[in-house]
This record gives sequence, C-alpha cells and structure tokens, in this order.
Amino acid sequence: MQVTLKIFRYDPEKDKKPHYDAFKMEAEPTDRVLDLLEKAKGYQDGTISFRRSCAHGVCGSDAMRINGMNRLACKTLVQDLGVNKITVEPILGLPILKDLIVDMEPFFDNYRAVTPYFINDEPAPAKERLQSPEDRERFDDTTKCILCGACTTSCPSFWANDQYLGPSAIVNAHRFIFDSRDKGAAERLAVLNDLFGVYRCHTIFNCTLACPREIQITQAIGEVKKAIATGKLD
Amino acid sequence: MALKRNVGLLEGLKYRGGGPMLAWLLHRISGLGILVFVGLHILAAFLTQQFGSDAGIFINIIYESWAFQIFIFFCVLFHAINGLRIIILDLWPALLEYQREAIWLEWFVFIPIFGLAVFVIFSGSLGG
Repeated sequence: MQVTLKIFRYDPEKDKKPHYDAFKMEAEPTDRVLDLLEKAKGYQDGTISFRRSCAHGVCGSDAMRINGMNRLACKTLVQDLGVNKITVEPILGLPILKDLIVDMEPFFDNYRAVTPYFINDEPAPAKERLQSPEDRERFDDTTKCILCGACTTSCPSFWANDQYLGPSAIVNAHRFIFDSRDKGAAERLAVLNDLFGVYRCHTIFNCTLACPREIQITQAIGEVKKAIATGKLD
Repeated sequence: MALKRNVGLLEGLKYRGGGPMLAWLLHRISGLGILVFVGLHILAAFLTQQFGSDAGIFINIIYESWAFQIFIFFCVLFHAINGLRIIILDLWPALLEYQREAIWLEWFVFIPIFGLAVFVIFSGSLGG
C-alpha cells in the first residue's frame, strides 16, 4: 500500500518556525511507524531527526504524537491507524530540540522529585527482604513504566504547567509508596501533596489511554490521592 | 535554540483524547456557562433594583429566552452528572478500572433527561 508520512520538521539552526514535510512510500500494513520513519530517513531525507533505541517497546525512546495521539512509533502498526496518511509530531509540553526530538529534562526533573528508588534505612537481613505475593501484587501494575513520557505529555494539566509532576512521576512514586519493604512513603506523599502534586490531576484519562504499557495510570493517581487523604496505605 | 514548550489552545484541542477528554472539556465549558448565567442574573437584579434600569430587563430577556434556557440546562445537568462521576471515581479509585463504562453510563443518564427538558422548553416556548 502507498502511504504518505507527514513529519513535523524544525531545525533550530535554519528554521524560524516549524513546518511539515510529506514523504510518499510503499508500506506493508504490518510495518510499524518506526519502520516508515527509518525508510524516510534512510532513502529520502537523512536530516530527519528522531529518537529510537531498542525498537521493541522497552526503552521508551520513540514516544511521539502519531495521528494526534501519543504512542510509541515502534509499537504502532500502519494497519492499526486505519488510514494511509500518517502525521507524526513531537510529544507536547516539552521544548523541541529538533524535528521529533524534545528536551526530556523537565520530565526527568519531575521524576527525580518523587525519589523513585528504594528507601529503607533498617539493617538489611542476611539474605533478602521478603515480601508476600499479595504485597508484591499491590504495586505490580506501576512497575511496568518505561519512562517514555507518553502519559505526562498527553496531560492538559502538564501542558498548562510543567511544574506539575505529571502522571509518570506519580506512577513511579506509587511503585515505591505501596511497596511493603519501602519506608519512604511519607516523604513521597508530602511531595505529592504539594501545589503541583496529585491534585493537578483532573481525571481526564489521556494518560491511561496513551500508556503503551497499558498501566492504569489514573487509578494509580487515585490511589495516591486516597492515601494522602486518609493517611492509610491500604 | 529549542522551540518553547507552550501548548496553544488549538493544539491542545487537536489532541485525540476521545470520550474522557471530551467530558473534561464539556465540564470546563459548562462551568463557565453556569458562571455566565449566575453573573447575568446578579447583574440584571442589581441594575433593576438599584437603578430601575431597562438594561436589567434586557438582560432578563436574554437569559429567559428558550435558546439560553436550553444552553444553561445543558451546562447545569452535564456539570452535575459529570461532577458526580468524578466524585465517585475519586472516592473509590478501584472503580477507575471501569472509567469507560462510567462515561457511557453518564451519557445514558444525561441524554434522556436533557432530551425531555428540551422538549418541555420548546413546547412551552411554542405554546406561548
């Protein structure tokens, strides 16, 4: 099938304003959008810039707006889009460095703010910190985050203000807050109870729909809100 | 130099968030609609009572018109039902798993009540 790939272009050294370039090419319905980008870059215009790494939905490098919605280019098949005109744009709410590449630093600043690592100052046992399967299950969903930024950059609250920690940071806080072995929950809940914490979430659900790992993000945010309100981690 | 992060209103509206994002947008718009209605009501009463002004009567005519009544009923009803959905989901986060069904249920409740109200308002305006 013949497809037209319309790509958002912006070169800070040449362009005052962004524009779009269209590339026509043959594609299989089972091709991924990432394959089309590689074809366009390899055979038509070597200056097209985008991030990609593992190309298998694990590293989270190639989150972009595909036909108006955040997705991973490596997990989106042409046949899933149902059209032969595909528009690819950078994710919203972060500064655009070049073409589809955005500056992820504000996103990672928010991520770091929730101390997304294991905190427990108690002496470590001889072998391991045991956890029951039920306790492990409590935060299983939020362990799946790959930090692609698709959720945070689909959130209108984040578009309005990048000081809002955003869904991804809250998901990663949830992963440790509800871990029975971790002791840093109070510290993280205090950060999330701030002006730019969980209460900027207006349950719009864009994050849940955008997540390539199908994490129930709004539910995780709801659980954190409830933990803050009740002071209980149940 | 990097392009600034600003997301314009039109660019934001073009994001394909689907039904939940539409519900959120309508919640914002209906909230503003209610604010306009209450504001006009207070302004009309103030102008009429304090100055005996015709401007108050003119504003009354606007918000008592059938078109404005339908608009404001849409705003109040949608804001109330959608607000109720959000409150329920906030209080019981486990139900967030069924957020799609919650939105369908919301429209299922909204459409017949709103349809009936539009019929009554129209009938009233046509019947004089």
